[in-house]
Amino acid sequence: METQNFIESGILEAHLLGLTNEEEKELVKQMVEENEEIKDYLVDIESDITRYFNGSAVTPPSALREIIHLRSNQENFRKEKHTFKKKAAEEDQNTRFLDVEVNDTHIKVHKFWRPAFIAVFILSKIFLIAGLYYYFKAVNQEEQIQKLKTEIQQVK
Amino acid sequence: MSELEPIKNGVARPNGNITSLEVYDKYGAMAYGIILQILPQVHLAQEVLVSVFSSPQLQACNSYPFSFAACVIKLARAKAVEAKRKLMAIAPVADPANALDASPEKIFDLSFCQGFTPEEVAGKLNISKSEVLRSFHEYFKLYRNA
Repeated sequence: METQNFIESGILEAHLLGLTNEEEKELVKQMVEENEEIKDYLVDIESDITRYFNGSAVTPPSALREIIHLRSNQENFRKEKHTFKKKAAEEDQNTRFLDVEVNDTHIKVHKFWRPAFIAVFILSKIFLIAGLYYYFKAVNQEEQIQKLKTEIQQVK
Repeated sequence: MSELEPIKNGVARPNGNITSLEVYDKYGAMAYGIILQILPQVHLAQEVLVSVFSSPQLQACNSYPFSFAACVIKLARAKAVEAKRKLMAIAPVADPANALDASPEKIFDLSFCQGFTPEEVAGKLNISKSEVLRSFHEYFKLYRNA
C-alpha cells in the first residue's frame, strides 16, 4: 500500500524530470534502494518518459554536429592540459634532485644587452671625440689671444 | 549535490563511457525537441543544444544510474530553462498560468516547459505541491494508456 502510494505520488516522475529538491532526491534514493517494486517502476517510467520525448524529437541542423565536435575537442584539450600540469607537479614532488655546483666564470644575460652595449660604446666614442675637439679648439683660441695680446703690446 | 549526481545503488548501465558525439547522434534530436518546447526561438535553441552536448556535465551522465536518455532530458531542460530565464529577464512576457486550468497537461507544461518549480506551480494554481507531483504521475499514466 505504501509502495503504491509512493508510486502514485508522482515523485519518481518528478525526479526523472529534474523537478525534485534535495530532500525528495534523498527519499527517492532511499526508496529505490529499499524497494524492488519501486526500482522496477522507475525503469518502466524512465522508458515511458524517453519514449514520450522521442515522440517530439526534432532533427537538428547537421552543422551543429560539427560545432559540438569542435567544442568537445577543445574541452578535452583543456582537460589534457590540466592533467599534464597535475602530472608534472606530481612528478616534481616525486623526483629527487642532486645538488650540482657549477664552476663557471661566465654569466648569461638577455640578448638585448648586446645592442645596448654597442650603443653605449658608440656614444662614449662620440662624446670623447667631441670633448677632445672642443678642448684643443679652446687651447688654440687661448694661444691666439695670447699672441694677439703680445702683438698689441709691441705695437704700443 | 548537483541535479545530475547519480543515485548510488540504482539501475546500473551495462555500457561504458561514451563520447559527446555518440550521445549527440543518439539523443541530439530528442534534446533539440525538448529545448524547442521550452525555448521556441530556433537560434537560441541551437545554442543551448550545443552547450548541452559540449558541456562537461554530460560526462557525469556516464556515471548516472539510470539511462543516458534520462540524464540528457534533465540536462537539456536545465540548460533551456536557464536560457529562458535570462531571456525573460531581458524581455518579460505575460504569466502563462491560468488559475482555472489545473489539468495534468497544464501542470506539466508549467513545470517542465515554463521552468517553474513544483512549489511555484502549486502557488499559481492554488493547489498543494503533492497535487502537482501527482499530476506528473497522471500525465504519464494518460500518455501510457493513450
